Amino acid sequence: MSHPKTQHVVDARYMEPPEPFVATMEMLDTLAVGERMLLLLFREPHPLYKVLRQNGHAYETELQPDGTFEILITR
Amino acid sequence: MLPMLAFDNAPPFKAPLRFFLTAPLFGVLAGVLVLVEGGDLFASRWTPGALAVTHLITIGFMLQVMLGALIQILPVVAGASLAHPMRVARNVHPGLSIGALMLAAGFLSGSPALLGGGAVVLGLTLVYFLTVSLAALWPVPATSPTIRGIKLALLALAGTAMLGIVMALALALGWSVPLVALADLHAGWGLGGWSGVLLAAMAYVVVPMFQLTPGYPARPSWWFPAFMLAAMLMWGLAVLIDWPLLGRLCLILSALAGIAFAGLTLRLQFKRRRARPDATYRYWQLGLTLSIFGLFFLLTVGFWPAAAELAGWTLLFGILLVAGGFIPFIAGMLYKIVPFLSWMHLQNLGQARVPAPAMNKILAEAAMHRQFLAYGVALALLLGAAIWPEWLARPAGLAFTLANGWLFWNLAGATRRYRQHLADIELRLAAGPATP
Repeated sequence: MSHPKTQHVVDARYMEPPEPFVATMEMLDTLAVGERMLLLLFREPHPLYKVLRQNGHAYETELQPDGTFEILITR
Repeated sequence: MLPMLAFDNAPPFKAPLRFFLTAPLFGVLAGVLVLVEGGDLFASRWTPGALAVTHLITIGFMLQVMLGALIQILPVVAGASLAHPMRVARNVHPGLSIGALMLAAGFLSGSPALLGGGAVVLGLTLVYFLTVSLAALWPVPATSPTIRGIKLALLALAGTAMLGIVMALALALGWSVPLVALADLHAGWGLGGWSGVLLAAMAYVVVPMFQLTPGYPARPSWWFPAFMLAAMLMWGLAVLIDWPLLGRLCLILSALAGIAFAGLTLRLQFKRRRARPDATYRYWQLGLTLSIFGLFFLLTVGFWPAAAELAGWTLLFGILLVAGGFIPFIAGMLYKIVPFLSWMHLQNLGQARVPAPAMNKILAEAAMHRQFLAYGVALALLLGAAIWPEWLARPAGLAFTLANGWLFWNLAGATRRYRQHLADIELRLAAGPATP
């Protein structure tokens, strides 16, 4: 799946926990430093944010009108 | 290796669990009271028995689970961690439980000491909880409707508690206050401002997450909590300046907002991607449907206040919204949260070497479903008892006692299995690296 923000997308909107976390970490592992990926979720993943901060990854979150949180993560 | 889920700062399981296990026992107590008092309890919303049962349920059951869940869930849904979650749990749990018991005993006996004492214990407990939770939450920017909703709900809890304490002290000390108007306002703040807004804030996260539905649209989710709080503040003003028409307008607006939220949630649930309905889904369907009925009862009173004087009308509203709405929402959530937290803690404790058991091994779907059916029977009898109290009050009390006892049994069983798996994991970790 591709998206205007990046071609690396994890659409976790209909996944059960902890699948979104696992899928995001797996995709991050495949990226080069500085590359970006997008996580789509119907909630803000605060536990994931914490891991991202601990690992030095930057992220920006935007709430879309349909309730999707778009989380753009930079490896 | 994948990093472990970031639950290293999650509160220990025993912090929320004590609240979750105590709540159904208050349900049992409320049922026993209905069983003992019989039809007299249903004579009006003002009978000592009805007031005691109402507070055993709203404080002993509902508030109990809500505060316990907040201790657990604040880091997950808001990124805000209480500084000392175990200490908060140890302080809040007895304060809430003893305060609820004293208040209920005060209503039943008419003892000013118990009423006033209960109000003081509950007041101190809530001041403490609100201080520590707002200290953790307030610095967090409201980046989601959930965070904003929890913040506003906590303010509404403060308002509810203040109104309740004023009334309890007025009854205990013989102050002259407009009790009926204040009681309606207290119920509005408690059910609409606190419980309703907190429910919505949690639903924004847990309904899509656990039931695999689409998300709540951003704009209405963002405004629902603020709208409810504004309606409650305006209602308070209406009582203060003695303008009943404004109060009725607020009641109508908040009932309509509640119906819209429940209707939207039902619509999302119909679009869910989880094929098989589980106990949580069924409990939520029941709760949403009966809340809508209950809110229509309330709406009618807004347009036609004389309806509140009709025999059984207000009781039916209360039973539909509290026993028909909030208890099913909470029971449904407990049936997801307790197995999920058990699994999560076991998964983390296993350090990726010993796998955690599946959630349905911790709490079986069939057990939850049977308890749900028992609760449905209790609810039908309670609704019937509001109309034919002399025939159905005692059977309703018995059924409500059994259904809550069964809820406790199921949750306690899950806890027991959690502890067994925990002991097993510790044993296997101590024995050395597991074979793949």
